[in-house]
Formats: sequence, C-alpha cells, structure tokens
Amino acid sequence: MTSAQQPPLLARARHRDESRSLVTGALIFRWVWLLWMAGLAAADNDALARASLAWASIGAAALWTVWLTVSRRTWNRGVMAFDIALCVWLVLASGLVIEEGQIVMGRPFFATGYPLSAPLLWGAVWGPLTGAGSALVLAVAHLLSRPVNGIPLSELSPAQVQNVTGAMLNYLVAGIAVGLVARLLRRSSEAVRRANEETLMEREVAARLAERQALARAIHDSVLQSLALINKKSRELAASGSIDPAEVARLAEIAGKQEGELRSLILREPEAPPTGRASLRDALEVIARETSGIKVNVSATGPIWLQRHVVDELQAATRQALENVVEHAGATATTVFAEEDDDHVSITVRDDGVGFDYDEARLQADGKVGVLTSMKGRAVDLGGTMSLKSEPGKGTEVEFRIPKTGGS
Amino acid sequence: MTDELVRVLVVDDHPVWRSGVRNDLESSGKAEVVGEAEDGGDAIELAREVMPEVVLMDLQLPRVSGVDATRAIVEDSPHVKVLVLSASAEEADVLEAVKAGASGYLLKSSSSQEMVDAVLRVRSGEPVFTASLAGLVLSEFRRIAGKDPTEPALTPRENDVLKLVAKGYTYREIGEKLFISTKTVQNHVQNILTKLQLKKRYELMRYAIQKGLDRAPE
Repeated sequence: MTSAQQPPLLARARHRDESRSLVTGALIFRWVWLLWMAGLAAADNDALARASLAWASIGAAALWTVWLTVSRRTWNRGVMAFDIALCVWLVLASGLVIEEGQIVMGRPFFATGYPLSAPLLWGAVWGPLTGAGSALVLAVAHLLSRPVNGIPLSELSPAQVQNVTGAMLNYLVAGIAVGLVARLLRRSSEAVRRANEETLMEREVAARLAERQALARAIHDSVLQSLALINKKSRELAASGSIDPAEVARLAEIAGKQEGELRSLILREPEAPPTGRASLRDALEVIARETSGIKVNVSATGPIWLQRHVVDELQAATRQALENVVEHAGATATTVFAEEDDDHVSITVRDDGVGFDYDEARLQADGKVGVLTSMKGRAVDLGGTMSLKSEPGKGTEVEFRIPKTGGS
Repeated sequence: MTDELVRVLVVDDHPVWRSGVRNDLESSGKAEVVGEAEDGGDAIELAREVMPEVVLMDLQLPRVSGVDATRAIVEDSPHVKVLVLSASAEEADVLEAVKAGASGYLLKSSSSQEMVDAVLRVRSGEPVFTASLAGLVLSEFRRIAGKDPTEPALTPRENDVLKLVAKGYTYREIGEKLFISTKTVQNHVQNILTKLQLKKRYELMRYAIQKGLDRAPE
C-alpha cells in the first residue's frame, strides 16, 4: 500500500535534515578554527621553530577541510580514521612547531581548536561513543605533545598538569556532548516519524471506518429495516396459526427487493455512461424493482445508451405498461426485453396473463383507451410506434419501437 | 422419464444455501444430493468421485471459479450436465459459464419448484434458458457478427427463437407461435448453445494458430 510506505520516507528525510544541521555546525567550527590556526601562525611566523612544517600542516588541514566540506555524502569509518590521524598530527606537530620547551609558557597553541572539531564531527555523525573515542585519542595526543616539545611528563608543573588535563577534558566534553545531542535528535525524529506513521494509520483506519459507516447506513436504512419487518411479520404469521398466502407473498417481495438492492450496492460495477446518456437497461431494472404484485424479469442486449430524456420517456411508457399488466392481466410473470439494433431501439413488455381481444375501435367506444393512448403518445413523441398483440388466454405483448436519433 | 432419483452435486460456498438446496431437492422426491462442494477445485474432484448427473453450480466461488470448474467438469465427463445457479448481477460470468459448457442457467431467486424442474430438464438434455441470458447471448452473437462474418452466426430461425426466449416465452409457446414442435425449439436452443461453445473453441484455436502453438517445436 503506497499510503503505508510514504510516511517513513517523509520522516526519514526530515531526520536526515536534523543530523545534517549538527554536522554542518561542526564543519563551520572547523573552518573557523582553520582560519584561527592560520591567522595565529601568520602573526607568529617569525617565532615559529619550523615555519615550513607549520604551513605544510596548515595547508594539509585546509585541503582536508575543503574535501570534507564537499564530500559529506561519502563519509565512512576510513574518512574518520584519516581525520583523527590528521588532528593527532596537528596536536603533535604543535610540539615541533613551537620552540622547544615553550609549549605551555602562555603562548597560543599551534593547532588551536582545530583538532577539537574531530570529536565534534564524528560525535555528531555517529553518536556519543564515537565522539568520546575520538576525543580520548586526541586527549592522549595532547598529553604527548609535551614530550614532543621536549618537556618530559614527569617534569610538568602542577599548573601545566592542570592546563593539560583541562584541554583533555575539553575534548571529551565536546565529543560526548555533541554525540548525546545527535542521539537525542535522532531519537526524537524517530519518535516524530513513528508518531507520523501512527497518525497516518489512524487516518486510514478512520477513512475505512467512515466508508463502512456509509455502507452500514445504506444497509441500515433499507436492508436492516426490512429484515426486522420480515422477522416480526413472519413471527406473527407463525403465531397466528393460519397462514395468509398474500402476507407471505408480501414478505417474499420485501426480501426479494432488498436482495436486489443489496446486490446492486455491492456487486454492480458502475459502467461509465457516455456524457448526457443513460442506460435503458438500468432504467428498466429500476422499474422492475419498484413494481410490486408481480415478478418482472428484465433482459436486454446490453446497457443500451440513449439520451437521458429518451430513457425517461421509455421508462415512463414501460411503467404504464407494467401497471396495466398488474391491474388487468392476472399474470404470474412478466418479461421486459430491450433490444438495440443499428438504427432502432425496441422494448417488449410481455405477460403470460389472460390476454384479450385487441380491438382498438371497440376499446375506444368503451372509453377504455386512456392509458393505451398515453403510452402510444410517448412512443409517437419519440418518432416511434407502439404495437400490441394479444389473444384471450395467451397473454399480451406490447412493443415500443423508436428510431435512434442523434447518433449512437 | 425414469423413476430413479437424479444424482445432484451442489456447489456453493455458503453452507446455509447448500443445505437449503439439498432440502428442496430431496423433499421433491425427484432428486438426491450425492455431494456438496464449497469451491471449484473440490467440485471438479467430487464430480469424478460421486458421479453426479447434474451439477448445480454457483459462480462466485473461492479459489477455483465456477466458470473454470464448469469447463473442467464438462471436459472431464461430457455426460455430466452443469446447471448454473447464480445471482442476477453476475450475468457476464453466466455467459462465460455457458461458453464453457454449462447446459443452463437459473436465478437464485427462482422457486424450489422451478429449480427442481430445471434439474430434471437439464438431466433430460433440455437446455434451461432464462430471458435475461437469452438477451446476453443475442448481444454476444451480434457483437461477433459485426466484427467477423466468418465466425459461427445464428440462422434467422435461431435468431427468432432466441428473441422469443428473451421476451419470456416458454419453448411450448414459441413452438405454437412459429408452428414448430417444442422439441424443435429445444433443438434450436441447443444449437445456439453449441455455437456459443464452438465460438469459444474457435477463438482458442485461432489464438493458438496466431501464436504458432499448433506447430511442433523445432
């Protein structure tokens, strides 16, 4: 389901954004420290013990910083190892660049804060443990920078020990703190993602529930009411002791009508009508369902698309014919057959009832022709005809036949 | 007519419906239910095992559909008649089932008496048609005739018969109208069904030839 796949993707994108902003921050600090390192070295150029080594180191750091800035998508553990090695080198190089024994005499430290950006960066990328690990390596390097500068560890003064310890702690605090923040961000965005997903799922469930409620309403409005009625009536019938066939037939009719409605609710695939057209078959099926007192079968050679007003007229004419059958024919079943050929549409209403001698003149004389005239009028208005075939005892067949106008 | 009970296999996925049909058939004293299946696959197997004469087939079945089961049963044992008992909204499927070899079609809303009659008629080789199925078959033949005149078409007489069936006339009434015997009407209807089934086979054959499936692999 696409709706179930989308939320994690969206949330993951947001999650990446958050850790990216932290990483961006670490990169910005790195640039600031690079410039500070270069600025200090330039200001103190004459005092440096090995100026060329200092500038080579600064150049390497600058190149590396540029590469890191443009290549952030490809970072892996190897990149991290190289970065830490470079920072360790910068820390140790301080011992070589600064005049021997001068490293803690109140002079600015050569590597400055640049190596601090390693625990910041990798803590941001991989969390507090990675941050702490890289901080530890750099803290040890910081400690070793003293012997490199010609000051044995055993000869460090209490003030120097304090100074070195403070610097080491700085590394650790930076690495761990950034790592913790990164982890917090990641976890909270994970929580946001999950919350999003849950909201979406809830919304989907709500939509499904609404759909079900709409269906339930439709079923309740007609089907359940009818079932309740059938239940009640049939109990009453059973209790009354004498079964009235008419009552039972009425119950069957109610059940049948509901069956049809439920079926059309569930099964019939909506056929897309050509614009402005309606299906004659559907219209006839509606009347078949609405007609009570007799079973009406509908057969058709397809949906038969016609202009809506034509369908309405034919539906009205057919309804009149069926009412006639119910009233006069004494039939048990009637069939409505709609047929379409290249240029005509015809509807036949056929019953198996008593039939009669069809004599239009006599019917006219007896004043019994009203409904027939009305039916015929509808067909003639559509440019068509109505014919009637009947014989006593052989049922009646009424046919409306109209030309298809305005193309198919 | 023999006095022996018609052996019927009832295929429907609703147990309540099956037991209702069983009750109707057996209380008529004219048929016995020799098996019940709730799925097309079970129906195909049972049709071999219990040797029914008539299979009362629902079309909306889980797994193997009623149409596929009809095809398999008729191919397996051509003497078994399949009578489709289906809901009105599935008429396109009914047409497919008839093409697959079903001998008749009855709506589920038909009365018990109509159902028993239909089972007996189908057993004796008479096709059971409803008006609405006739309408569908008529349109199917017109559709094909418009597209390809070389395919099996209806004769004018068959067309008349089919139209009258679509208007709700019984075979007897059609015979009277056309001045032919009821038996002849039945034969016409049977021929119409056979053409429909042939057409299906014809389509399959043409498809095979188009795809070169009739040639032996090189």
